[in-house]
Amino acid sequence: MSITRRLVAAGLPLTALVPTLAHAKPAPEFTAVDADGKTRSLSEFRGKTVVLEWVNEGCPYVKKHYSGNMQGLQQAARADGVVWLTIASSAPGKQGYFDAPAAKTWMEAKGARPTALLLDGDNKVATLYKAKTTPHMFVIDKTGAVVYEGAIDNIPTSKVEDLGKAKNLVAAALADVKAGRKVATPFETPYGCSVKYKDA
Amino acid sequence: MFLKRAVLALQALLAATLLAGAALAGPVVNSGHIESELVAQESGIAPGGTIYVALRQKIIPGWHTYWRNPGDAGEATKIAWTLPQGWSAGDMVWPTPQKAKLGPLLDYAYEGEVFIPVPISAPADAPVGATISLNAAVQYLVCEQVCVPEDAKLTLLLPVVAGAAGADPRWGPVVADVLAKAPKPAGLKAVFKLDGQSLKLAVTGGPLKGADMAGAYFFPYSPKVIEHAAEQVIDRGPEGLTLTLKPGYDFVGGGTPPAELQGVIATKAGAWEVTATAGEPPAAAGGLGAPAAETAPATGTSGGLVGALVFAFLGGLILNLMPCVFPVLSMKAASLAGHAHDAGKTRLQGLVFLLGVVATFLALAGLLLAVRAGGAAVGWGFQLQSPVVIAGLALLMLLVALNMSGVFEIGTSVQNVGSGASAQGGATGAFFTGALAVVVAAPCTAPFMAGALGYALTQPAVISLAVFLALALGFAAPFVAVAFIPGLLKLLPRPGAWMDVLKKGLAFPMYGAALWLVWVFAQQSGPLSLAHLLAAGVLAAFGAWLYGLGQERRASGKPALVSILVALLSLGLAIAIATVGALHAAPPTAAATSAETSTGPGLAAEVWSPEKVKELQAAGRPVLVDFTAAWCVTCQVNEKVALSGSKVADAFKAQNAVYLKADWTNRDPVIAKALAQFNRVGVPLYVVYPKNGGQPVILPQLLTEGLVIEAIEKAGQ
Repeated sequence: MSITRRLVAAGLPLTALVPTLAHAKPAPEFTAVDADGKTRSLSEFRGKTVVLEWVNEGCPYVKKHYSGNMQGLQQAARADGVVWLTIASSAPGKQGYFDAPAAKTWMEAKGARPTALLLDGDNKVATLYKAKTTPHMFVIDKTGAVVYEGAIDNIPTSKVEDLGKAKNLVAAALADVKAGRKVATPFETPYGCSVKYKDA
Repeated sequence: MFLKRAVLALQALLAATLLAGAALAGPVVNSGHIESELVAQESGIAPGGTIYVALRQKIIPGWHTYWRNPGDAGEATKIAWTLPQGWSAGDMVWPTPQKAKLGPLLDYAYEGEVFIPVPISAPADAPVGATISLNAAVQYLVCEQVCVPEDAKLTLLLPVVAGAAGADPRWGPVVADVLAKAPKPAGLKAVFKLDGQSLKLAVTGGPLKGADMAGAYFFPYSPKVIEHAAEQVIDRGPEGLTLTLKPGYDFVGGGTPPAELQGVIATKAGAWEVTATAGEPPAAAGGLGAPAAETAPATGTSGGLVGALVFAFLGGLILNLMPCVFPVLSMKAASLAGHAHDAGKTRLQGLVFLLGVVATFLALAGLLLAVRAGGAAVGWGFQLQSPVVIAGLALLMLLVALNMSGVFEIGTSVQNVGSGASAQGGATGAFFTGALAVVVAAPCTAPFMAGALGYALTQPAVISLAVFLALALGFAAPFVAVAFIPGLLKLLPRPGAWMDVLKKGLAFPMYGAALWLVWVFAQQSGPLSLAHLLAAGVLAAFGAWLYGLGQERRASGKPALVSILVALLSLGLAIAIATVGALHAAPPTAAATSAETSTGPGLAAEVWSPEKVKELQAAGRPVLVDFTAAWCVTCQVNEKVALSGSKVADAFKAQNAVYLKADWTNRDPVIAKALAQFNRVGVPLYVVYPKNGGQPVILPQLLTEGLVIEAIEKAGQ
C-alpha cells in the first residue's frame, strides 16, 4: 500500500462528512404568540432539541395521528427534555384556523401536550420553514440545525390502521439525536393536507 | 346478508340477459364529492386476453383528486384489486394532471371527469360464457379548501367471450381516447444536469421538434426531485426544449441524486413519458428563448406578421441615416445626379443597388438562421462579435474614406477621375455599395427594428426571411426612389466641382466610422491586437497612396508598375497584420471591461448575471439591466445621454437601485438567452425589475434621463 493510498484511505471518512456539513441547514429563527398569549421564539430554546409540528385540526391526516399517536410522541419527547412546538398556520377563515381559546379547547379535548401551541394565522413561521402539509415535522438539534424534515412516518395515508405498520420517522430521528448519532433518515416527503395559506 | 345476495343475484341476472356480452358496471358509488365506477373499453374479454378497465371519477366543481405524484400535498388515488384466481391487473395509466396552485404550494391534480385505465388480463383457461366479477377497493383523497379521504368499493361484471369482443358501446371510445392521450414514451432523448441551484432538463426528438412549447411543463414521478411550486423556465431549441427546474431534496437537500429523472413532459401538442439520464444538454435543446405566448406582455412592439413587416420597412428606411451608412449612400445618390440625363442608366443602377441590398440582407439572415438552427446562441449583429470581421471592416472603411478623399480611384481609368463611373462600373459599384451598406448598417439596430427582428427570428424560416426582405426593401427604398422618380433626381443640384468638395467632405464621417470600429476592436481584443490593427491601418493608407500615385503616373504616361506592386504588397501585409492581431485577441476580463466602461462618476455599473438579478430582487432592490455592446452605437449614445448624468445617479441612490450591465461585445450565450427571453435578438435592451418582484418592464430603445428616472422611481415603490 503506497503512502498516497494510505492518505486517501485516511481521508475517506472526512470526505464522507463533507456533504453532511454542506447540507446542515440552520433552522430559521422565528417569533410567534402561543395559545397563552406568550411570545415565544426559537432562540429561547437554544441548547435543547426542538420538534416543530404543523397542525390543522380539521385535516384527516392530523386526525389520524391525534388518535393517540401524536400525543404519545409528545409525552415521550418531553420526558426526554425535548421542546415540542405545535404550530397552527391556517389563515383566518380557513380550515384549522385557531385563535387562542379555540386552540386551548382543542388541546384540552385531544389531550395534546406540546411545550407550546403557536398561533401562526399570518403564515410567518410556515413561510420561513416552507411548511407544505399537516402534519409536517421538523427536528432541530441543540446546535440549531434541522436534522430531520418531512413526514411523520413512512406510510402516507389517512387511515388509523396504518399507524401500527408505519415506522415513525420523528421518533427515530429523536432517538438518533439522543444517542448522538447522525440521523439515519433526515428527510421523507411530507404528506397530508396542504397548509392553508392565506393566499391559497 | 340477504340484501347483498339479492343484489348479486340481480347483477348476475342482468349480466346473463345481455347475451351478446357487455361489461356491466356495478352501481355507481357517489360520495357526495365524487361519482366513482369501473368502466371497460371492450364489452368482453377473451381467455388469455388483456383489456383496459378504467376507474371513472366525476368530481364536483371546485374539488380535485391527485396524480401519482400529488405534488406538495395530497395523496394519489389507489386501487386495490380483488380478482379471481389467475386474473391480474397491471399498472394504472395516469392521464396528464393539472397544476393546482395553493398559495406557495403546487399540487398535481385532476378536476372534472377523470379516467384512470388499468390493463386486466384473463388467464388462458378462463371459461368462455362465464361472467367474471372484478372488484376494486379505491382509496382517494378529494380536496377543495379542505380534504376528505374517501373509499369506494367498485365492481365490474365482465363476460368471458371467444375471440375479440368489440368496443363497449358507451365507454369504448372514451377509454380509447384517454389511452391515446395518456403520456407514453415517444423515443424522446432526455438529459438532466445539476448546475448549482438549478436543474436543467433537456428533451429532444420526434414530436417535440417544432412543437408549440408555450406552457410546457415537467411533471416528475418522484416527489423528491424538484421544488414543485418553482417556475419552470422554458428555453426552446430547434430539436426540443430545455426546462430550468429548481432541484429538490434528492439533488440539493442531502438526498441521493437519482440516476434517472422520470416523469411526463406536457406541451400543447401532447404529453410524453421521459426518462432522463445525467449528461450534457445537447445544443439543439435550447437557445431560442421562451415561447412567444409566455412573454407576450413584455414584447411591446411585435404586433404579428403585418406589424413586423411594417416596422421592418420603417426600420430599413431609418437605417439610411446611420452615420456609417449615410456617407456611402449620399455619395451614390450624388453620382446618380450625374446620370440625370440618362434615365435608363439611372434606373439600372437603382435596381442593381436594390439587388445588392436584398441579396446581402437575405444572405446574412440565412446565415444567422442556419447558425441558430445549429444551436448556437447568436443574435443580429453577430458578425460584429468577431474581431476578424471588425478588423476587416475597419480597414475597408479606411480605404473607402481614403478613396473619397481622392487618394486613389477604384474601377475607373484615370481619364474618368472626377467625372463619374462608366455604366458598367457603375452597375457593379451599385451592387457592392448595397452590400457594403448592409454589412455596416446591421449593428445599428434602429429603434423600430428590435421588435420586428425579435419576432422574425422566433418564427419559421419563411416568415423570418419575409421580415428581412421588408427590412431590405425599406433600406433600399430612398435610393431606388431617387433613381426612379425623375422629379426627385431633378431636385438634386447639377453635377459639377461641388461634387468633389462634397465627396471629400463626406470622407470624414467615413474616417469616423473606421475609428469607431477600431475602438470596438480594442474593446474586444485588447491593446496588443489594437497595435496590430493600427499598424495595419497605416500600411493600408500607405498602399492606397502609392496606388493612387501609380494611377496618376500611368495617366501621364509614366511607368507605374513598381509603385502599384508595392502598393498591393503593403495592402496584403496590412491585411495579414490585422488578421494576426485579431486572431491573437486577448479580451480584457469582464471586470476590467465594466470598470472601464462605467458610465459616470455617480452611477457605477455592476456586471450582470441572471443570478445577480435574482439576488438583488430577493433583497428588495430595484434593478436596471443595460444590455449593451461596444459596437452598438445606440447603446453608447443612450449611456452617454441618459445613464451618466448626476440626476440619474441621485435617483438610483434614492431608490437604492442597482445598475447592471450585460456586455454583449463578445459572444455570450447567457446574454443571448436573456435577450431571447424578452423576444429580442439584439441590443440595446433596457429592463427594469421592480423591487417588489413584479413583472420586469422594458424601456424604449431611445432613452432620456427623465424616462430612466421615472422608471426607477416607479420600480422603487
